[in-house]
Amino acid sequence: MDPIGAGALGVALALTAVGTWWLRRRDGAVRGADGERERAATAVLEALGVRPGDADLTVVQFSTAFCGPCRATRARLRQLQATRPGLAHVDVDAVSHLEAVRELGVRRTPTLFYLDRAGRLLGRSSGAPRSDELTALVEEHVAPAGARDGRQV
Amino acid sequence: MPPAHPSTAHEVDVRGPRFAAWVTSAVLAFALLTGSGALVALQAAVFAVGALAGLRYAPYGVLFRVLVAPRLGPVREREPEAPPRFAQLVGLVFAVVGAAGYLSGAPLVGAVATGLALVAALLNAATGFCLGCELYLTVRRARPARTA
Repeated sequence: MDPIGAGALGVALALTAVGTWWLRRRDGAVRGADGERERAATAVLEALGVRPGDADLTVVQFSTAFCGPCRATRARLRQLQATRPGLAHVDVDAVSHLEAVRELGVRRTPTLFYLDRAGRLLGRSSGAPRSDELTALVEEHVAPAGARDGRQV
Repeated sequence: MPPAHPSTAHEVDVRGPRFAAWVTSAVLAFALLTGSGALVALQAAVFAVGALAGLRYAPYGVLFRVLVAPRLGPVREREPEAPPRFAQLVGLVFAVVGAAGYLSGAPLVGAVATGLALVAALLNAATGFCLGCELYLTVRRARPARTA
């Protein structure tokens, strides 16, 4: 047995365990936004052409061509849009907008930003969003199809 | 004109890359334990086929289709080929550095590079997370903007 290789194997297994733990904890989880960065993020997203005023909830998704969960995330949002017309989905190619990617601190894809009609950043998430959290967010902010004025209290 | 349903041309059964990731993990772990540069070079060749020729020719993918898939149920989910194929390219870079390290008498370089490839393969096998795919944006982000 090679002692250097055995050591590297041990380190690799430990790193994998830490990575798995981190993914379980954070992957797809919606994080809240603090005030200062929140306004900056909205401005950057609006500069990309995002118009939060047009929908109850606007989800901006940063994707790349080499991203497995991006397509599933897109499909999930389209599916939610079928019953919630007040939900808008904007897909942004991260690599063609690297300036915005850096300003927003987007490190992974998909990274999603959730904006309400007033342009307030409700939160962000990286990785395929957790189904229950996404549904809860949509139900909280978007009225179901057929509701008057697109609003329901 | 692309086909109306681009379902099979550039898509793979999601279970294929996961299976390949388990085999890759086993090969790299065994290579580390034995300090075998030849085995890392062999894994580099496997990565090269998948990355350059496409996943349908990737050796572990062929193994999956011929031996494993017939014993499992029908395909439930497909995914685009591009992300796992890109990950093979990232794996190739690490495996080449690892093999070069071992074979040129720098076992520490060999072990570190092989170990990193193992972390990516194991994470992918265990959780489906594609570390190589995430590196794409990381690298593009780090590079200064080429043209606006």
